[in-house]
Amino acid sequence: MPKCTIDGKQIEFAAGTNLIEVAKSAGIEIPFYCYHPGLSIVAQCRMCAVEIEGMPKLQTACSTNATDGMVVKTNSERSVANQKSVMEFLLINHPLDCSICDKSGECDLQDFSYRYGSAHMRYEEERRTFVDDDMGPIIKKNMNRCIHCTRCIRFADEIADKREIVALQRGNHTEIVTVEGKPLATEYAGCYADICPTGSLTLKDFRFQKRVWFLKKTPSVCEGCSRGCNMDISWEKDTVYRCNPRTNMEVNKWWMCDEGRFNFHYVHNPLRIVEPETMSDGRTAKVDWDKAIHAATHATTGKKAVVLVGSDLTQEELQGIQKFATKKLGGAQVFHFGTPGVKTVADDKDIDHLLKRASKTANLNGVEKLGIQPFDKVPAGAQVAVVFRGGRAQLPNLGSTPVVGVGVFFTEEAKNFAAVLPGASFAEKNGTIINWKGMEQKLQAAIPAVGHSKQLAEILLHWTHGAAKEEVIPAAAGEITA
Amino acid sequence: MEAQKGKWETIYIQHFREEARPLKYYLDQMEGYQALKKCLGLTPDDIINEVKKSNLRGRGGAGFPTGTKWGFIPKQSPKPKYVVCNADESEPGTFKDRDLMRYTPHLLIEGMVIAGHAIGANVGYIYIRGEYTREAKLLDEAINEAYAKGYLGNDVLGTGFKFDLTVHRGAGAYICGEETGLLNSLEGKRGEPRVKPPFPAQAGAFGGPTIVNNVETLCAVPFIMRKGGEWFAKFGKFEKSGGTRLFCVSGHVKKPGLYELPAGAITIRELIYDYCGGILDDKPLKAVIPGGSSAPVLTASEIDVALDIEPMMKAKTMLGSAGIMVVAEGFDVVKLIRRITKFYAHESCGQCTPCREGCRWMEEILGRIMDGKGKRQDTDMLLSIADNINGKTLCALGDAAAGPVISFVTKFKPDFEAKMPAGGTHA
Repeated sequence: MPKCTIDGKQIEFAAGTNLIEVAKSAGIEIPFYCYHPGLSIVAQCRMCAVEIEGMPKLQTACSTNATDGMVVKTNSERSVANQKSVMEFLLINHPLDCSICDKSGECDLQDFSYRYGSAHMRYEEERRTFVDDDMGPIIKKNMNRCIHCTRCIRFADEIADKREIVALQRGNHTEIVTVEGKPLATEYAGCYADICPTGSLTLKDFRFQKRVWFLKKTPSVCEGCSRGCNMDISWEKDTVYRCNPRTNMEVNKWWMCDEGRFNFHYVHNPLRIVEPETMSDGRTAKVDWDKAIHAATHATTGKKAVVLVGSDLTQEELQGIQKFATKKLGGAQVFHFGTPGVKTVADDKDIDHLLKRASKTANLNGVEKLGIQPFDKVPAGAQVAVVFRGGRAQLPNLGSTPVVGVGVFFTEEAKNFAAVLPGASFAEKNGTIINWKGMEQKLQAAIPAVGHSKQLAEILLHWTHGAAKEEVIPAAAGEITA
Repeated sequence: MEAQKGKWETIYIQHFREEARPLKYYLDQMEGYQALKKCLGLTPDDIINEVKKSNLRGRGGAGFPTGTKWGFIPKQSPKPKYVVCNADESEPGTFKDRDLMRYTPHLLIEGMVIAGHAIGANVGYIYIRGEYTREAKLLDEAINEAYAKGYLGNDVLGTGFKFDLTVHRGAGAYICGEETGLLNSLEGKRGEPRVKPPFPAQAGAFGGPTIVNNVETLCAVPFIMRKGGEWFAKFGKFEKSGGTRLFCVSGHVKKPGLYELPAGAITIRELIYDYCGGILDDKPLKAVIPGGSSAPVLTASEIDVALDIEPMMKAKTMLGSAGIMVVAEGFDVVKLIRRITKFYAHESCGQCTPCREGCRWMEEILGRIMDGKGKRQDTDMLLSIADNINGKTLCALGDAAAGPVISFVTKFKPDFEAKMPAGGTHA
């Protein structure tokens, strides 16, 4: 392998790798704004300019590939002077509003200005300001904070495949706008906020919700479709505030669709049933777990049951349900449901150019691997349906069959259920899902189960052993408090 | 545009008359399209070697050897190759290409077809600045004449060589005179320079290998090919710089205008006093900007420099596009550099940080100094900002803006200080 020297360190590299990445591989940080490994290289922020032996001018590390024997200095006097100078230029028109800026705490401009900037400001002229236009429901623009890296323009053009963001005017008056002021149309608009190195493009959804330094991140996987985009769940105490894509070059690279990004909101939806419910006198009523288990047992005992499982459940949950159906529900048949029109993996196709898949549940592949057949209609003679659902699978029409629901349900859809045993959503549980490519990926619990909802394993144990047996199964509850 | 009374042989300037424009004049008086006829019988290498021999250097400003540039074009290319003429002529103080296009459009057309044959391109574009409406129309007319007579088209002069030529009008942006900004604009994109490499010779217009040459450069080609590279090279007085040059003299001289002289034959002083009749109202000379407004300024005592690329570089300025602006004593040089800086701040495309932010910053400080609100440390500040731009930008616009500021502030510091409020305060 060829070798180059960066800051005195000999580093091996694969041909065609730029200096930023080569340096990164050896733990050397070269600061940059406009560079993004997933976008074309424009070398315009000039922050990454470094000294290369034998070249009279500083060279941008993003646009310069390492060559064998190349000697690079990222911290020489000239490189450092340029970093300081670029920082100064970027800050002369940037408002000092970190205290009210949502990017604060995870802002490249802020971080680098601590590391490379100066505490003293030489600029005394008037700052350039813009009036912001609306960019649609996802993104809030603040042009005054923009440092013109053009990542958003390139993302629109190269990744979202929609030329919807452009630069208007030129020079110091350059403004980032949507074409003809239209709202953003891409279904990946949240990525604009991810790639923006400043607080110029932020998520309307997350704005003013939480300072990012209070948030903890749990690496998990999106349950929005069969792609299984890797993501971080950002949470504090018992609340999820945000989901962001986590880089996985084999699955989603750096990106994530808005549907998946904002999917987590149902976790805290006030209409989500988080306390056990039973039907009495034609109305659902909140009850304690013992009563609910009792009602579920009552509804299924001595009846021919059919079991329906959402393809949004994990492998562990599904296996537990299979056993439960055999042992406790008299060998009831198990069928899966999830996305109308997507019964098997053969129906599960890419539905756009980037990430989205037809199956709106994450584990269709896993369900099939366990030999579970797709649900078509309630089998003849079935007197009760026990429906297990993670949170995304779309309930099939069960006609007038009595239903016991286990998992995540909402008030409206469960209003005729005989009993609801509230379970954990993706954000509240651990487990394995298998994406369309056959990759096993892990969901990780970020928060404890909301309200009185419980892990499925716990519910099944409770049901199996009867009411008032809660105390004998501490293991499942313990899993999520770590 | 006065002819130079026989002292030096000239190539173009004697034809800068309305009656020179039609094809008939070009054929009768300028041996029009004879060079093309000859070239179509030569191999591309023969042509490139002849151009190399001529020591023709780019007339747009950078002065890169033309033959060498052509030699960079790969012989085989999966993508079509292109000949692009940079007729953006946007450097303030430059107006030579305008007259070449206005009076001798066929010269440019012939030069482009020859260049096309030399690099194996079948398509050419003349990217002309938006303000040159009249010249664009004249070029279109000349191109139509050339198509009608078979100098352009699918079968150039019956040899089977195909060459199509189109005039593409810019929309009035200085940055589209930068070759990659020009190519982006030509492709219908925002006129912003590209990261180099790849250079246009590898991936230029529409991704194909492309040469981008200035109007004057391409206009030299028919002469070189007809009369020989050595003939052209002999005009030059310095090594590796051949031919004559068109000097655009403006400002405080008695006879401003276009002058054609052999490269390096005379000094700036001679041009001003022997050719242009000296300074207006016989005032003393204050300053000369020798190569378009982006060239660092020279003081009255620095003008004994031969008008060619290398001597100017030694004098720490540049011949650039040979737009020579003469400033008489009594004219406010601070106002001048403020106006120049305002121009570059206005024309900065805005993609790269130092140019976008720095040019505007310098403009603001200069504006403040003009308004009598300067501070003693402003001159140092200007030098510091200019230094932070110089050589650190994506394209040469940053240098074009920084160089003049550095030279004006360094050479005319008392003029700046005279504008500071008495006793100039620290902030």
